[in-house]
Amino acid sequence: MSDSHISPYSLNDLKNTTDDALGNYLRGLHFKQDNSKLDFRLAIGYTAVVIAAVTFVADYKLGWDATKNGTAVAVAAYAVLNGVFTYWLYFVEKGLIFEGNREGRKISLASRTKKHTPTYFLTVTSSSNQSRELECPFTTWFTEDGYFVAKPFQQWLASTVDVIGGADVKSVGKSEAESSVVPEAESNGTPSASGADAKSKGTKRSKKKG
Amino acid sequence: MFSSLASLQPRQLAAQVLNFALVLSTAFMLWKGLSVFTNSSSPIVVVLSGSMEPAFERGDLLFLWNRGMDTQVGEIVVYNVRGKDIPIVHRVVRRFGGGSAPLQLLTKGDNNAADDTELYARGQDYLERSKDVVGSVVGYVPFVGYVTILLSEYPWLKTAMLGFMALTVVLQRE
Repeated sequence: MSDSHISPYSLNDLKNTTDDALGNYLRGLHFKQDNSKLDFRLAIGYTAVVIAAVTFVADYKLGWDATKNGTAVAVAAYAVLNGVFTYWLYFVEKGLIFEGNREGRKISLASRTKKHTPTYFLTVTSSSNQSRELECPFTTWFTEDGYFVAKPFQQWLASTVDVIGGADVKSVGKSEAESSVVPEAESNGTPSASGADAKSKGTKRSKKKG
Repeated sequence: MFSSLASLQPRQLAAQVLNFALVLSTAFMLWKGLSVFTNSSSPIVVVLSGSMEPAFERGDLLFLWNRGMDTQVGEIVVYNVRGKDIPIVHRVVRRFGGGSAPLQLLTKGDNNAADDTELYARGQDYLERSKDVVGSVVGYVPFVGYVTILLSEYPWLKTAMLGFMALTVVLQRE
């Protein structure tokens, strides 16, 4: 996945890297991503920005007196759009990081973190609209230096989420999510490739791969 | 640092850019909203000279209100000299008109020896309340306005500040 490393003490970086990796992983498994919620937010946001830009240009060209009433309308419209934007972000998107479907089965994933707790909380909503929250410490897929290792992350996802497990059968059943073993970085810090690493079956992850 | 941006999906990059654009546009719209509320083209001004000492010093921030159309002698107003864009903060010393006739004002800086007749445009002997006055001073904060004076005297500061802000908002993903 990424060749760069992040600070393992930054909860923000941990969450963002994990979220990005999750998106890449699912897209690689041919999940079709549904961006409608994000698109709506972008549309509302950019409309508001355009209104502000038009107001700016009109005021610059025509001066205050001529544009007074138009500006009042624009300010009101901007306030409404911003309100909708904030509502959408906090109540509709609510931490959503991936929404999509594969072979008719829908999946919706939202993530969050709690301050000062190095745990990834993932809320999974399946086709039947039931949600459950899974949690897993970040140390499962991050090395001490802050390198992301894809395999344990994919194994955890495949074992705990049915829809993903169905798509990536190879990663199911090998999860050591609660283990105290910290994965070591591969040589040069290049993490192992995605799930197609058949020869690792049964190998304890504490040993460096030759 | 920028590699984190390069690995983003296009929509996510659009979302990050939107965050920065919203910071700018919200700041601008708040300013315009205040303008509409006070009915003043410039509801917050900075004192640029010492002509109103000891009441106001250079660098003070003034809050204006432009909905009190019956300005009294003794009120402090901000006005633009016709044809120039520099706002002047002085006290009203004489009124003409008012009621059915349009209100006209003569102003003078507290720290000046003479009234503002010299400052007005050629041929202009008084201010029109409705046209020339930006607003009356209703409150002030001392010294804070010096930032604006610095930004206008060293324009590269503006670019530097904006650039720094852009960098922090776009690269931060919270």
